Parts: sequence; C-alpha cells; structure tokens
Amino acid sequence: MIETFLMSFRLKNAYQTNGIIYSLKSIPVINRLLPVSLYRSPGLKIFANFVSILWEISSMFLGKMLYLFIIIFLLKDHMKSSPANSFMHMFFFLTITGGFLNTHIFHPTRDKYYAIFLMRMNAREYTLSNYFYFLLKIVVGFLPFTLLLGRLSGVPIVICFLMPLFVVSVKLIFTALALHDYVRTGHAKNENQLNPVALVGIAASLAAAYLPPFLGYAMNGAIFLALFVFSAVIAVFSFFYVLKFREYRSICKELLTADSFAMNKKSMAARAVQKSLQLNIDIKATSSKSGYQYFNDLFVKRHSMLLTKSAKDITLISLAALAFSIMACFLIHGAKPILNGMMLTILPYFLFVMYFVNRGKVITQAMFMNCDHSMLTYRFYRQPRAILLLFTERLKSILLINLMPALVIALGLPLLLWLTGGTNNALNYVLLFVSIIAMSVFFSVHNIVLYYLLQPYNIGLEIKNGTFTIVNSFTYFFCYFAIGKKVPTLVFGTLISVFCIVYIAVSLILAYRLAPKTFKLR
Amino acid sequence: MKLILNHVIKSFDKKEVLRGANFAFEKGKIYGLLGRNGAGKTTLFNCINEDLKIDGGSILLEENGVKREVCPDDIGYVLSTPVVPEFLTGREFLKFFLDINVKKIPDIKPIDEYFDFVKIGSEDRDRLLKDYSHGMRNKMQMLVSFIANPCILLLDEPLTSFDVVVADEMKTLLRQIKKDHIIIFSTHIMELALDLCDEIVILSGGILEKMEKDDLSNEAFKDKIIQALRKDEND
Ligand SMILES: Nc1ncnc2c1ncn2[C@@H]1O[C@H](COP(=O)(O)OP(=O)(O)OP(=O)(O)O)[C@@H](O)[C@H]1O
Ligand SMILES: [Mg+2]
Repeated sequence: MIETFLMSFRLKNAYQTNGIIYSLKSIPVINRLLPVSLYRSPGLKIFANFVSILWEISSMFLGKMLYLFIIIFLLKDHMKSSPANSFMHMFFFLTITGGFLNTHIFHPTRDKYYAIFLMRMNAREYTLSNYFYFLLKIVVGFLPFTLLLGRLSGVPIVICFLMPLFVVSVKLIFTALALHDYVRTGHAKNENQLNPVALVGIAASLAAAYLPPFLGYAMNGAIFLALFVFSAVIAVFSFFYVLKFREYRSICKELLTADSFAMNKKSMAARAVQKSLQLNIDIKATSSKSGYQYFNDLFVKRHSMLLTKSAKDITLISLAALAFSIMACFLIHGAKPILNGMMLTILPYFLFVMYFVNRGKVITQAMFMNCDHSMLTYRFYRQPRAILLLFTERLKSILLINLMPALVIALGLPLLLWLTGGTNNALNYVLLFVSIIAMSVFFSVHNIVLYYLLQPYNIGLEIKNGTFTIVNSFTYFFCYFAIGKKVPTLVFGTLISVFCIVYIAVSLILAYRLAPKTFKLR
Repeated sequence: MKLILNHVIKSFDKKEVLRGANFAFEKGKIYGLLGRNGAGKTTLFNCINEDLKIDGGSILLEENGVKREVCPDDIGYVLSTPVVPEFLTGREFLKFFLDINVKKIPDIKPIDEYFDFVKIGSEDRDRLLKDYSHGMRNKMQMLVSFIANPCILLLDEPLTSFDVVVADEMKTLLRQIKKDHIIIFSTHIMELALDLCDEIVILSGGILEKMEKDDLSNEAFKDKIIQALRKDEND
C-alpha cells in the first residue's frame, strides 16, 4: 500500500509541477525574463517540484490556520457565551459541516482519475492510502493551531489536543456512512454536486454552530468531552468499515467517468454552465436582429437562466434588503442615526458587495464554454472586425444585465440616506449614486476586458493563465480589504468614481487595440 | 490558380514537424494527403489557414501568373472534430453566417436550399446544434465552409464520420465542385484516397511528396504508397 501511495504522490506531484511550469510560462514578464532554454532545463523542473512540495506542506497548515482564525477565532468575541465555550461549540458544529462537504473519498479530482484509470493503479490501495494521508494531514495541520488559538481563547489544553482527533472521527463516520449509502443505493454521491440532504445538513450545522453561542447557549468542556468520546467510539467502528470496504473501484468509476469528470475540479461554475446549457436552453427564444447582434441576442436569451435570472434574483434580494432597512428605520428606535452614519461611511464595503453581485465572470465563462471555444475555430469569427463587433455587443449585454441590481442599490442608498435624516452636503447623494453605478460598470468592463485580453480558459474551464489568476486575486483582495474601512463617502466616492472612469476608458482602449490579437484559443 | 508552398518549416519547441515542405496544388484537382499519425497533416492545414505561424518559407496563391498572399476569404477549412455553437439551431447558425457574409456571397439562396444541398432533413433544421450527431455537425461545418465559396478547401479527415450513403453523396459533391477549387483532403482511408483523389501526396519526414501512379495497377500503387509511408520509420 505504501508503494501505491508513493507512486500516486509522485504522480500528483508531476501533475502539479507541470501546472506550475505552464502557469509561469503564461505570465508575459517572466516568460520574457527566462530564456527559452530554461524551460527544458532540469533546473526549472526541480524548482517547480520544490514549489509543488512547498505548496503541499503549506496547504496542510495554511488552510486550517485561516479556517480556525477567520471563522472561529475572530468571531468568538462577538458571542454572548464565553470565548472558550464559543470556540469549542463552533468548532464542534463546523466540523460536522465539514463532514458533509468533504470526505475526500467522494471528491472527484483529476489526480485520482489519472492514477486509477490512466495508470491503472489499484483503486482500493490508492483510495485508502490517500485517505489515511488526508487524515494524517488533518491531525498534523490542525494541532498547532488548535493549541495556539484554543489556548488563547481559554480552551482547556486536553481539549485542544483532542480537537484534531475529533475532526478525524467525524470524517471517518461520514465516510463510513457514505460508503454504506453506496452499498444500499448502488449510487455514489458526488461531493461536487451536493444533494438536498447534505444541503439541509450543512445549513443546520452552520446554524447550530453560530446561533446558540450568539444567544449565550454554547456547550462547555464537559459536554465537548462527552460528545468526543461518543464520536470516537463510533469512529473506531467506522474505521474498520472503511478499511474492510471492497468496492472502491466501482465508486471511483462512477465518480470519475469521463462524463462527470470532464467537468469537475474547481469548475462548479463549469458544471452549472453545462447543466444549464443542457436543461435550460430556451429554444423558443428568438431574435429579430441580424448578424452579430442576432448572435449575441440569442446567446443571452438562450442562457437567461444563467445570466439574467440570477441578476434578477439579486435585484429582488437588494430590493428586499432595502425594504427591510426602510422598515427598520421606522420601527426600531435609534436605527435612523446608525443607518445615517453608515450611509456616510460604509461605501468601501459596497466595493465588495458590487464585486460579488457582478455576474461578469459567470457570463464570460458561459461565453467561452458554450460559444467561443467552438466558434473561435472558425476563421471568420477571428477576424478583427468580427471580434470587435461582438465585443461591443457583449459589452452592452453585460452592462445591462449588471445594471439591473446596480440601479436598485444605487437608488436605494441615497434614498436611505435621505430617509434617515439626510446630510447637509448634497454631493453625498450624487456620489452614492454615481459611485455604485461606476463600480458596477467597472466590474463588468473589468471582467469582459480581462476575458478578451487574456482568454484564460481551457475546455475544462480550468484557468490556465498566470496573469489572469494574479489580476483576479488582486481584485478580490483589494475589494476584500476595503471591507471595514470607514472612509467618508465624500472622499471614497470621489476617488472610486474617478478611478473607475479612468480604468474603464483605458481598458476599453486597450481592448479595442489588442483584442484582435489576444482573443484566441489556447 | 495554384497554391504554392515554398520550403515551409514549422516546429513545436524542439520537434520539427514540417522541414521545408514544397508543393504546388492546382485548381481543378482533388489532392489526397496521406501520412502517419502525427506526421503533421493537421499542422500543415493549420499553417495554410494561418492558425499557426510558420517558422520559415512561404505560402502563396498564384493567379494568372501573379503571386499574392493568401487571405482569409480564400480558404474554407473543415476540422476533423467538428465544432458548432451548441446554443443555436442549425437554421439560426446558417442565418447568422449568411448575415455576416452578405457582401461576400454572390447569390444568396433561401436557407432551406442549403440544407437540401447537404441533405439535412427538415425536422432537424430547427433543432439545437448540441443535439446534432457527429456527422450532422460535420455537415454543418462543411456547409459554412463551402457557402462563401472560397477557392481553397482544406478538409481534415472529413468523411470518416459520415455513414456510407452520406460519404458517397459527399464524394459526388466534391467531384461536382472540384473544377473551380483547390481541394486538399487528408484521410487515413486508402481506398477513399485512391477512389476520389486525382493526386496522392504523402507527408512524411516533414516534407511533401507526390506519388506518381504511372501505369501501376491499383494494388501495386497501394504497395508503393505504403512503402513510402513506412520509410518514415527507418529514418
Ligand atoms: N500545439 C502543439 N504543440 C506541440 N506539439 C504539437 C502541437 N500540435 C501538434 N503537435 C505535434 O506535431 C506533430 C504533428 O501533429 P498533427 O496533429 O499535425 O499530426 P496529424 O498528421 O494530423 O496526425 P493524425 O493523423 O493523428 O491526425 C505531432 O507530433 C504533435 O505532437
Ligand atoms: Mg490530424
């Protein structure tokens, strides 16, 4: 079994190594700096290999640290229960959420597919050895941080030591249950496609994690210990069940068949696109336009489930939130001044909201998956004129789709400001409106211009472009860090509006200049 | 009219796929391009269609003794794996294509006539392309490559996915239009190549070589071709 594991480890490593080299190549600056010969040299391979192993190690610790720190440690002080109890309580129920989300065995990934079906490794040995490695990583990765953050919260040291083992127990129990379920139904659950039961379980355990401590009813150390012992006992039985189980090959087969597989990995979105394409193409939709307008019009209409419907949902949610806030200011005593103060300072927060609300990324993915990856093989479609005509059409559609929710927010904020007592500088109203619209346009333009300039997708919708990943993460973190910054609307609104307008102008010029050259299949 | 390849070179990283291919393809003939898997047939087509930049040499079109660059409208290219926009119906795809090429197509006919031309049944015309079979997609692709009436037709293993009846129809169709076109098609089916093509060209070792039939019998000619293809191995 150890041999199988080592082999699979090397295989995964090779896969990651090649991925790293490929991403490096796709960053223009680095590509130019490194001489071509370097790509063939063993040096780069060793370097990439090193990065890949470093990644393996850091992902073992980093993810778990962030998890404990952000969604448990930082939140414990906002709870009514004591920090120690809140910590234990949240940890307990979030671990159960984790059980629903990932048991490793039912998670279809590319390296599994390569190992079991292409390299014909023994499925049981492969699955089990990797599963135990996964459990081992849990223990090793969690322990330092349950100790550190747990102790800082005042959790008894014994419990800090037991916490990682509790995670392992829960994983084992969930795995055994899932395997048992497979025997019963003959159908393997795919963790990239959560079933209703899992969704309810996730929602329930999340609620159980946060609500009781918030209201002051968190479990104490004794209860945690009792529950731990109970789960550990079941986990021992589960362990033997998992170990004795024989049908790993057929499970893998079902999870990893070319069909379900072609679309997986991080591509929840890809599958959503594919699925909606298959189920929801609205063949009745027609268009009276012609040429590229006709083409784009049909594209948008046929994908309305994916494109316009979610924008509509977001609009409705925004409307509901607005109505709720308006009600709050009339019904709750003292809400008015708070809301009024917020309107004048929390605009940075809306940068993040607008980032999330924007459908641009999904739209470009849909464009690639369902349209461009086939159409780009036609030469007429790649003519500069064609590319630019369609770019213009698409830009219009994306802007319109995203403006729907943006308008509600952009009108809602000044309205709230006015209802809650207003402000003596009327410019604030204008800036709230203008900057929200500017942000919406900014994200729409940003997404489509990036798509046209970098065209980062491959058929599996895996992103194969280092620059794109960097720009995207940068955008995300920039928006994320804007949260919580309290900047006067007057200042932030002006800055962000000016920035957006300049950015939009520059990127559109770039797109019109460069897209004919950069928009192609990779 | 002639399509002239002059010492075309193309390599991927270290691998030299085309090593100075020379050939003159003439109008009015169907050329059968034969070569082992990985010999570079698809690569050659991609180079002619400018999907790939060539590393050396030239690809020119000679018309009435005047040489000029090949431009996009000169070429119709049918890929071996047909790709079509899945969210459109056959009719819509065709309408879109006709819309944007209005100026280039001399006599636009009603859409149904085009479907009749490639024999796509009336019940299939308004179905989404994602529900088309491989062969039907291939027909659609062929249709859009033919409609604009380009003078060069590149067909990469086009007949492989057609059923026998359709393949036969396609052969007839190719013969019908050959007098105004330069038709190059790659295939792995020797019988097809011998039956349909006026010339057999072999791509091996990165160069193009014309196979003269002289007065060999079909059997002997086949042996000669296979010998030529084998040569690659011994290099
Ligand atoms: N984008 C690419 N990058 C690197 N190598 C490539 C690329 N495209 C093709 N090749 C290589 O070039 C060679 C020729 O490939 P090509 O697809 O042209 O062969 P072919 O004659 O069409 O083969 P087949 O008969 O199997 O279709 C192959 O060895 C292939 O590995
Ligand atoms: Mg080929």
